Amino acid sequence: MKKPVPSLFLLIGVAAVVISVLAAEILIVKVQSTNLRSGPKFYAPIVQTLKAGDRLEKISAQPDGWIQAKIPGGTVGWIHTSAVQVQKFDLLALDRGLKTQASASEVALAGKGFNKQVEESYRAKHAEISFIWVDRMLAIKIPAERVEEFIKNGKLGEWRGAR
Amino acid sequence: MRTLGIKAVFWPALVVVSVSISCSVVEKGADILGEAGKISPSDQKAIVQSSQALRSTFADITEEEEYYIGRAVSALILSQYPVYQNESLTNYLNTLGRAVAYFSSRPETYAGYHFLVLDTEEVNALSAPGGFIFISKGLLKRCRNEEMLASVIAHEIGHVSAKHGLQSIKKSRLVEAFRIIGTEAARRYGSEELAQLTELFEGALGDVVETLVVRGYDRKFEYEADELAAKFALAIGYSPQGLLDFLQTMVGDSSSVSAQGWFRTHPSAEDRIERVKTKTASLGKLPVENPDRTRRFEKSLAGLK
Repeated sequence: MKKPVPSLFLLIGVAAVVISVLAAEILIVKVQSTNLRSGPKFYAPIVQTLKAGDRLEKISAQPDGWIQAKIPGGTVGWIHTSAVQVQKFDLLALDRGLKTQASASEVALAGKGFNKQVEESYRAKHAEISFIWVDRMLAIKIPAERVEEFIKNGKLGEWRGAR
Repeated sequence: MRTLGIKAVFWPALVVVSVSISCSVVEKGADILGEAGKISPSDQKAIVQSSQALRSTFADITEEEEYYIGRAVSALILSQYPVYQNESLTNYLNTLGRAVAYFSSRPETYAGYHFLVLDTEEVNALSAPGGFIFISKGLLKRCRNEEMLASVIAHEIGHVSAKHGLQSIKKSRLVEAFRIIGTEAARRYGSEELAQLTELFEGALGDVVETLVVRGYDRKFEYEADELAAKFALAIGYSPQGLLDFLQTMVGDSSSVSAQGWFRTHPSAEDRIERVKTKTASLGKLPVENPDRTRRFEKSLAGLK
């Protein structure tokens, strides 16, 4: 009797590859800057700093909004769903090409829309409106470790109920 | 067994072919996206052209656009109210705000959440799109503990999270802006388009500021923000009682007579209390006020004049 078993394994293996390719989801960073972290928490150690337009490949997702993802080069880490936009490939759009699916995210990548140039134009028209405090406000940086300490000392988050 | 043998050869072969087709498509897509920061003019044009058809509502406003709208709305708010400068209080507010945001449905925005105290006795809390949040001194003085302040912050994060500010922009304005943005392929606009876009930008800012400062949000948005506030507060571990306590202090507040700020722009506190109570009634055991949190709250607000 011939052994069909290895072929069956091959079938299953190849099918798994196909499924993974079809299901591959590309994530594009949509915030100015964020971090890929070693765990699904904002205060987990940083694996890699990312900026708007950077791409990741989704591996898995948790119901709390954290996504495990891989960056080019293979490094794996966690990123929050609010920092990324999902870019799905429409594999049936072979003849139309991928560009037909472009959306707001591509406009974002192209730096289009209400941007710095529009703000500059607005400010030139309204010299009486000051942006000094807006910039000072944006300069307030609270490191994630400080927030973690705050949560911990306040017996909040994972430390709730702790003595 | 023979039949199985043929199938075992046929299906993997078919699968391998489809994998190779799929891969080439994915690679092509990846190449396009890989060049995302510096796409060629023709790609950009195609992208922009198709976006013309796709962008139509507030939900299509990009994070970066939301950020620029939020910056200018904040500048307009700050042209009406002076900033209360107290570094330790501002740091406390920003740390607390960041912590609540971590447990919200939208912890990350284009440039993150930032908080300032407005130097006014008026009771008010305002949030500009993208996460610029303003809390008045008058409001801070009415909070007795961290739970109450956290609930106000959570309510504002709720507005940002659900993009309520952006929803006050007139749809016709957005459609017109998207049309101009979609027609002009270059990264920098020509003078005519820029003038038109600037005017639309100004109009959009007017819509948002009018809603935030003068008219107030639609009641359904306020109720939604209350619901989100209770949800986010619970997620981090604050009692939703904080929101109820805050609303209770607003009931019969003498300054409400002057119909300023919060009182002018929000539905009645009694009405909101009933709704929050109904939503939280079925939640079972809830967290309670914590003395450590109250101590640090009191310490941070001690110098408030």
